[in-house]
Amino acid sequence: MLLRMLLFAWIAAALIAGFLWAPLVPVLGDTTRVFYFHFPAALLTCVAFGWSTLHSVLYLARRDLAHDAQAAGAAELGLLFCVVATLSGSLWAKAMWGSYWNWDPRETSIFFLMLIYGAYLALRSAVDGEARRARLAAIYSCVAFVAVPFLIFVVPRLYFSLHPEPVLNARGKPDIDPRILLVAAAMFAGETALFAWMLALRVRVARLARAREGA
Amino acid sequence: MSGTWTVLSVALVAWGLLFFYLVRLERRIKELERR
Repeated sequence: MLLRMLLFAWIAAALIAGFLWAPLVPVLGDTTRVFYFHFPAALLTCVAFGWSTLHSVLYLARRDLAHDAQAAGAAELGLLFCVVATLSGSLWAKAMWGSYWNWDPRETSIFFLMLIYGAYLALRSAVDGEARRARLAAIYSCVAFVAVPFLIFVVPRLYFSLHPEPVLNARGKPDIDPRILLVAAAMFAGETALFAWMLALRVRVARLARAREGA
Repeated sequence: MSGTWTVLSVALVAWGLLFFYLVRLERRIKELERR
């Protein structure tokens, strides 16, 4: 419970720091704060989908359903963080660019990512039989993840984007106030711990459901 | 400034609600695992 309370305090402190301590970017004004929700959620989406793929590969190698539960849980949570990143980005786009959706390369990429992982979950719910579902989902996940680095890192750099340069830009230096970066990093660390906790709960629920089905 | 406090308060309350929901969920899962 101590770790949980620490996590609660960590994220609460990061939120307070983001609103009351970190400066505002002059061009962005008050909307600077959206960065603390949008950027960590987008980054965590990649981490979650990567974790899902790692466990899909492990499932295919070991045929252990515990890896399948990890892969499914991580994909679900990845999709959840993907929705958070999209909604926060959409609100930010309305404030800065005048429209909720602009088909900017990053917006298009995240839209395709949601479709790909939405299809993953649809596939899981459509296949009967634990082993068959796990095998097909693992294969799909491995193929789907090939698109992630392409959609997140390649496409936005190929076409004109309304998004600013990446935090780590071509000069290899973060072009952002260190206090803003620190709060965003703290939020990312906190959200990663939150992801790990939620994933552990999801895996335990899956184990309980399997035990009930077996009984 | 009042807008900042309002949004911060909403964010903190939302995080608090999510946190306590997860704590309660974990407690419930523990109960089911014990059975």
